[in-house]
Amino acid sequence: MIDLLHCLKTHGGRLSFLTWSMAASLLLTIALPPVSTASAVETASPVVVKAKTIFIGNGQVVQNGAILIQDGRIAKVGRETAVPPKATVIEIEQAEITPGLIDANARVSTIDLVPPSRTRATGVEEPSQDQSKRSDSHVGDDDHEEEHSAASGVFPSDIVNEQGSEVVPHTRVIDGMDLTCVDFQRLVRGGVTTVHASPDSSSVIGPRAAVLHTAGRRGDRVLRKVGAVKATIGIEPSVSGTHNHRGGASIYARRPNSRMGLTWVFRKAFHDAIQRGEGLEPYGADTASPEAGVVLRQVLAGEVPLRIQARLHQDIITALRLAGEFDLDFTLEEATEAYRCIKELKAAEVPVVFGPIYEAPSGFRAVTGEADQSRYSTFAALLNAGIETSLSAGEFREEDGLARQAMYAIRFGASFEDTLKAVTQTPARMLGIDKELGTIEPGKRADLIVWSGRPFAAVSRIVLVMVDGRVVVDRGE
Amino acid sequence: MANKSYMPAVALLLFSVASSATAALPAKVALQGGRIITGTGGEIAEGTLLIEHGKITAVGKSVDIPYDAMVVDVKGKVLFPGMIAPHSSSGMDRSNENRQVTPYLDVYDSIDPSSMFFEESLRCGVLGIHVIHGDNCLIGGLSRLVHPIGMTPDEMTIQPRVALKISATPAYGRGRMSHRSQLREVFAELEFYLENLAEKLYEDELKKQDKKVDVPPEEARKRGREHINDERIDDEHRNLVKLTEGRLDAWIYIGAATDVAPAVDMARKNGFLDRSVFVIGGDAHRAVDALKEAGRPVVIGEQLTFQRRDPITDKLHETFVPKVIHEAGLQFALQANPEGSLAERMPNYQAARCVRHGIPRAVALKAITVNPANMLGVGDRLGSLEVGKTANVLILSGDPLDFNSWVEKAYVKGILAYDREKDVRLKELLSLPERTAKREKEKKEEEERKKKEAEAKKSKEKDKAADKDAEKDSDEADKKDGEKKNKDAEKKDAKKKPSETEEDKKKPKKKGKKKKNKRAKKQSTEQTPAGEEQ
Repeated sequence: MIDLLHCLKTHGGRLSFLTWSMAASLLLTIALPPVSTASAVETASPVVVKAKTIFIGNGQVVQNGAILIQDGRIAKVGRETAVPPKATVIEIEQAEITPGLIDANARVSTIDLVPPSRTRATGVEEPSQDQSKRSDSHVGDDDHEEEHSAASGVFPSDIVNEQGSEVVPHTRVIDGMDLTCVDFQRLVRGGVTTVHASPDSSSVIGPRAAVLHTAGRRGDRVLRKVGAVKATIGIEPSVSGTHNHRGGASIYARRPNSRMGLTWVFRKAFHDAIQRGEGLEPYGADTASPEAGVVLRQVLAGEVPLRIQARLHQDIITALRLAGEFDLDFTLEEATEAYRCIKELKAAEVPVVFGPIYEAPSGFRAVTGEADQSRYSTFAALLNAGIETSLSAGEFREEDGLARQAMYAIRFGASFEDTLKAVTQTPARMLGIDKELGTIEPGKRADLIVWSGRPFAAVSRIVLVMVDGRVVVDRGE
Repeated sequence: MANKSYMPAVALLLFSVASSATAALPAKVALQGGRIITGTGGEIAEGTLLIEHGKITAVGKSVDIPYDAMVVDVKGKVLFPGMIAPHSSSGMDRSNENRQVTPYLDVYDSIDPSSMFFEESLRCGVLGIHVIHGDNCLIGGLSRLVHPIGMTPDEMTIQPRVALKISATPAYGRGRMSHRSQLREVFAELEFYLENLAEKLYEDELKKQDKKVDVPPEEARKRGREHINDERIDDEHRNLVKLTEGRLDAWIYIGAATDVAPAVDMARKNGFLDRSVFVIGGDAHRAVDALKEAGRPVVIGEQLTFQRRDPITDKLHETFVPKVIHEAGLQFALQANPEGSLAERMPNYQAARCVRHGIPRAVALKAITVNPANMLGVGDRLGSLEVGKTANVLILSGDPLDFNSWVEKAYVKGILAYDREKDVRLKELLSLPERTAKREKEKKEEEERKKKEAEAKKSKEKDKAADKDAEKDSDEADKKDGEKKNKDAEKKDAKKKPSETEEDKKKPKKKGKKKKNKRAKKQSTEQTPAGEEQ
C-alpha cells in the first residue's frame, strides 16, 4: 500500500505506470471499494471462504471455489483463489454458499413487548379455542398473560405506524425502530441479512420504509434511511390500528370504513398534493396535510418510490387504476390473488414483492379475510409471466422464514434459479442497492450464507451467516 | 385386527373415495420397478412390492407377480410406508374437557370424520393417526388409532382403546402442587373404591348363600377382590383398573424437566411403567438422564427446537431436542406440528430436520414409521413395507426427505385411497391460471400450423416451378393469396387442414376472409387487459 501511495505522488499522471505498479506491488487483484461516507468498515484481516458450490446469485455457479473477502467486501470469487497471509480460512464440508437473503417487505417487530411467537415476528395472536398448546412449564401457558391491552388502545406488537391520520408519508419507520430488538437476531439467524422494513397496513398512505442490515456494526446497519412510501388498498386500514379495535362506528372509530372511502382518501391525498403544488388550498373532508403533500409530490415526480399493498384481485385492479389516474409507478406488495390478474400486472409492468406463502392465513392477515383465496402456485405464475418478482416472508420467521419460503416456492413450481434470484438479486435491484448487495461479485459487500448442503433443501441448514465480511451467526455443531 | 367385520364397508367407501371407474377392485396389485424404502433401514434400488388381499405378500428386487395381479409401473418413484402420527388431538371436537379426571371418556365420541385435518393427512401420506386427548388434563380418556378415510369413526378405526392419556404437567392456570397431589389422590381413591367394592361383593356373595360375613373386614375385602371383574366396576374406575393391572397403555405428557421424575415414579408405583410412552415437551429433554433410566420410548414434542434466552446474558440458546434424545439412546417418534409452519405439518419434513442436525437418515425415517407403530402396539402389522404387514403404502414422486416430493398415490389396506391425479383441491391450489395455460397452448398450435403451411407452400411452389408456362397466371394469384393467408393466419384461431389444395383454398377464402378478420379483431380486443375475468 505504501508503494502505491509513493507511486501516486511521483507518477501522478502516468496511468500506465500506475496500473503496472499496482499489479506488481499487490499480490492479488483487489477492487478498490467505492468511497462511502456512511460506512467505516474496519480493516480486518482477509477472510477466505471455501465451498463445494457457490451460487453467485445471478445464475452463475462456481464449483469447488473460494471467496476472498477484504475489508468487508468481496475481493474475488473463483475456482483458484490464493490465500493471502494472515487470512482466516473458513472451510466447511459440503458447504454451499448463497448471497445473504434480502427481504423486500419485512415486518420487523421493533417493539418486543410480548414473548415472540416461534414462527411469527409479532402479530395478533388469535385466542386459541384449543387450550392444549404446549409451553415451558404450563400447558397452554402461552402469551395469554400478556394479552393485548385493548383497554389502553395500544397493541404491544405489530403497530409500526402513525395513527394520527390516514395519510402520513412524511413519517419514517426508521424513527420508530429499535435496531437491537430481538427480531433482527431471528432474521439474521434465518439467513436474512438485509430487510426493507415496511410499516404495517393500518394507514392508507403510510410512512416511509427503511432498508437495513439485520446485523453487523451499528454504523453500517442503515442502508437507506428513508425508502418507499407504503400505501394500502383494501379494507385493512379501517380494521387495524388502535382506534378501530373497539368495533363498530363511534366517535372513536376512524372514518372511512369501506373500500370506497379508503380509496377516496388515497385519491384525495394525491389530488391535494397536486393542488398545493399549484399554490391552491385544498378543502373538504380527508384533506391531507401540507407535509404529506411534499412527499407525495416527490412520489408523483418519481423521486420517491411507492409501494402499494393489495391482496384481493379487485384491490390490485383498483391500485392499477389509481396509478393510471396519477401516472404513478409503484411496486405491488403481497398480491395474494395475483393469479387472477396476471395479464393486467404484466401489461402494466408492475413489479411485485410477493409473499409470504402459507397454508392458511393467520394473525392479522386472517382478520380481514382478504388472504383466504391464496394459491400455492401464485409465485411461480408471476415468474412464468415474466413479471419482476421478489419473495418476502413478511412477519414469518424460522421454519416459515424467508429461507423456507424459498423452499415452499420451489416445491410449488418455481425453479431453484428463479427463486434464488427472487430472494437476492431481484430485491436488491428493487431496493436500489444492487451495486452493493444481492450477488457475490467483486466490489459488493460480503453478505453470505453458508449452508450445510443444497440451499433451501429440507435436509440443509444454515451454518454460518456473514454480514459485511464478519461472521454474525455461527450455528455449527 | 379389530374391525374385520367392517372391512367390506371400508372397501366400498374407499372405492367411492378413489372414484375409480373400474367395475371390480383388484385384489392383487404389483407396484413394479420403484425404489423401495422399507422403513426398517433397508432400501431396494429398484424392486417390486406385491399386495394381495390387503396385505404385503412380497417385497424385493425380483418378485413373482401372479397372473391376475394389476401391475402398476412405479419406475422413478419411491415406495414408502404410510406414515403414522403418534399423538394428535386434531380432527376432534375439543381436545380436552373442563373436568380434569376423565378416564371414562373415549375419543371415539369426538372424532369428526369430515374434518379437513384427515384429508390433509391423507394428502401428506399420513395413513395412521393416533387420536388422543390433549395435554390440558390430569387424566384424560381412551385414545384410538385411525386411518384418515372413512365416513364414521368405526370405519376409520385401526385399533380402538389404545391408551389412556395422562398429563404430568399442570394445565394452564393450575399449580404443580395441586396437580401432583391430585394424581396421587386418583390412585389412592381407586384403591379405596376397590376395597369397598370387594367388601360389598363378598357380602353379596354370602347373601346368595344365605350366609353372613363372619370374617374381619380385611379378610372380607381380600376374598372379595377375587370377585371383581370389569362389568362390576363403574365407568369412573374401570379404565384405571385396566391401567394398574397392565391391560392398558399409558401415554404420559411431560411438559417440563421437573415433571419427569414424578411422572416416572407415578407410573412405576402404580404398575404401568412397562406400558408407558412419554410424550415430551417444553424443556423435558433436559431431564434426559431420568428418561433414559426409565427406558421407555419417547414421542418428541412438535416444536423440535427448544429455545431459551438466558435471563442474565440475554444470549439465545437453541437445542434440537431429537438430537438429545437420540444421543441418549432412546427410541423416539416424531410429531408433525399442525399449528406450525406449512412444512412442519408434514412428518417427513420433521424427519428431514433431524437429518439436518446430524441424526442418521434411517433413524429419522423410523421415527415416522416403525417406531410409532411399535409404540402403538401395531408394530406387527403397520409401519414398514414387510411381508405379512398391512398394505399401507405410499408412492412418492421422490425421496421422502426431499421437500419437492409429492404423494402420488396412497394405498390403505391394499386399496387405492388417494390419487394425486384426482385430487381436485390440490389441482386448484397448484394450477397456473388456466387461461394463461390455454393461451400458451393456442400459441404453440398457431406456430405449428404456420410452419406446416409454409412447408406445404414451399413444396407446392417447387412442384409448380417445374411447369412454369402452364401455370404462370395461377402462380401469381397463388402468391397473392399466400400473403393474405399469412396475414390471416396471425389473427385466426381456427385450425386448418394442411392437406387442402391451392384451388380449394382460393374460393371459400375470398368470401370468408373479411368476416374472419373482423371476428379475429373482435376477439383480440376482448383479450386485451380489461380482463376476461370480470
